[in-house]
Amino acid sequence: MTGDNWIEVGKTDSIDIEDLIRFDHGDKTFCIYRIEDGFYATDGICTHEEVHLEEGLVMDDEIECPMHQGIFNIKSGKAISPPACDDLKTYPVKVENDLIYINIT
Amino acid sequence: MSSLKNLSILGAGQAAVYAASEFRKHDQDSIVTIFGDENYLPYERPPLSKDFLINKKKEDEFSFFSKKYFEDQNINFINEKIETVDFKNRSLLSNDNNKFSYDKLLITTGSTNRKLTIDREIDNKIFYLRNLEEAKKIKDRASKVNKIAIIGGGFIGLEIASSLNQQNKSVSLIEISKQLMGRIIPSPIANLVKDAHEQHGNKLYINSKIKNIQKTSEGFKILLDTNDSIDAEMIIGGIGSSPTIDLFSHSDLKLENGIFTDEYCQTSIEDVYAAGDVSNFYHPLFQQNIRLESFQHAQNHGISAGKNIAGIKSEYLSVPWMWSDQFNLNLQLTGLCNDYDEIIVRGDRLENGIIYFFIKNQKIAGACGLGLMGKVGRDIRIASKLIEKNTSIDKKILSAQNEKLNALLKK
Repeated sequence: MTGDNWIEVGKTDSIDIEDLIRFDHGDKTFCIYRIEDGFYATDGICTHEEVHLEEGLVMDDEIECPMHQGIFNIKSGKAISPPACDDLKTYPVKVENDLIYINIT
Repeated sequence: MSSLKNLSILGAGQAAVYAASEFRKHDQDSIVTIFGDENYLPYERPPLSKDFLINKKKEDEFSFFSKKYFEDQNINFINEKIETVDFKNRSLLSNDNNKFSYDKLLITTGSTNRKLTIDREIDNKIFYLRNLEEAKKIKDRASKVNKIAIIGGGFIGLEIASSLNQQNKSVSLIEISKQLMGRIIPSPIANLVKDAHEQHGNKLYINSKIKNIQKTSEGFKILLDTNDSIDAEMIIGGIGSSPTIDLFSHSDLKLENGIFTDEYCQTSIEDVYAAGDVSNFYHPLFQQNIRLESFQHAQNHGISAGKNIAGIKSEYLSVPWMWSDQFNLNLQLTGLCNDYDEIIVRGDRLENGIIYFFIKNQKIAGACGLGLMGKVGRDIRIASKLIEKNTSIDKKILSAQNEKLNALLKK
């Protein structure tokens, strides 16, 4: 067992820089971000209230929840501005042949 | 960092806890004490009219911080009602006759619900919602009745109407003015909210004044000036609020639609600060004093007060922003929407969100949007940032919903 569970998300050009897309797999939902220095992935649902972050605003390496403006660091998942106080789970991402993969192990 | 010894915070709501928490980041030595008369750790109020009433959240799920956090941060709570503030001698006197001294005082007493005055016997039976105790009473009573009348079509009344409808209650809502949610909400958006309530089965009586309320065997009969009558087993009032300033009415503290403060949360009395709902503060971006009652403001104004009291002078520049959740809709409002040259509309379907931008001098002064949960958040947030930056904007892109507004921030 390697513990690897790389799932193909889509093409790299499907996400603009400083933007994100929603990615659903099984019963889980994620946000896949593209920022200046690469691609990142977190859980899709805000830790403050149950709302998807897909409609949130990406600024530099931060995602802001569209409902109540809690802010998380995209790379670490750390909650950096209230009302969010619990961190977002993050997932490893790799790019191969212009395709984005996330490891959801 | 500061030479302060003893900071007292009067009022234990959102502004208070965020002020204490921020202050502690810069000053680990001073004594910090929050005075409140509720028997709960400070909690978020927005869920009271929504997730708490529909049993989606329990009371222990919306505390701002845990008990351990306050212990670790060395932030004290005193659960006593303060009845006298002696600004001259810098002390507080509780109803138990205990005296507390302070070096600096932050007032975060919030606001108080306005009450209906119809008939003494009936007035006492009307429910209001401001705190957890009142939310529990509403929830308990609502569980035993079916027909509920809500007086007032502002955010709180409409949110309660949405929540009780979701509990399968028969809800009637009465609003005295011509549209829901007051004049600051564009009337097309107010009408969409009205439609949503009616589609879910709520009965709305708009532009209707209460003539009188009679007691009946079932509860009440409400007679309107339109000659409609409403039978109800329970009445809930949501007719606005006013700043909680009774304690200071005979003091030297400058009061004017709340406690008059500058952009640093300072009041007219040295070493006395005010933040949150109770403060009518100077806003440098809008160059006028404004008073706001919102979650985001209470939090950010509290943080600003905490910084300033700790000696880090920082202007409060947060752009006003608030939201309301009703049924599956999320309404958001930012900036000031009452002074504009032009309105630009973005979108025409709730599925994608509809936003009204209020333009003044080629810049966004305010924006108000309504859409399915989460659909207007990003664009409203971008509007807030553009207001804060005071940048002129390309108006064409505002109405083109197929073009993202993010590009406006990069200019």
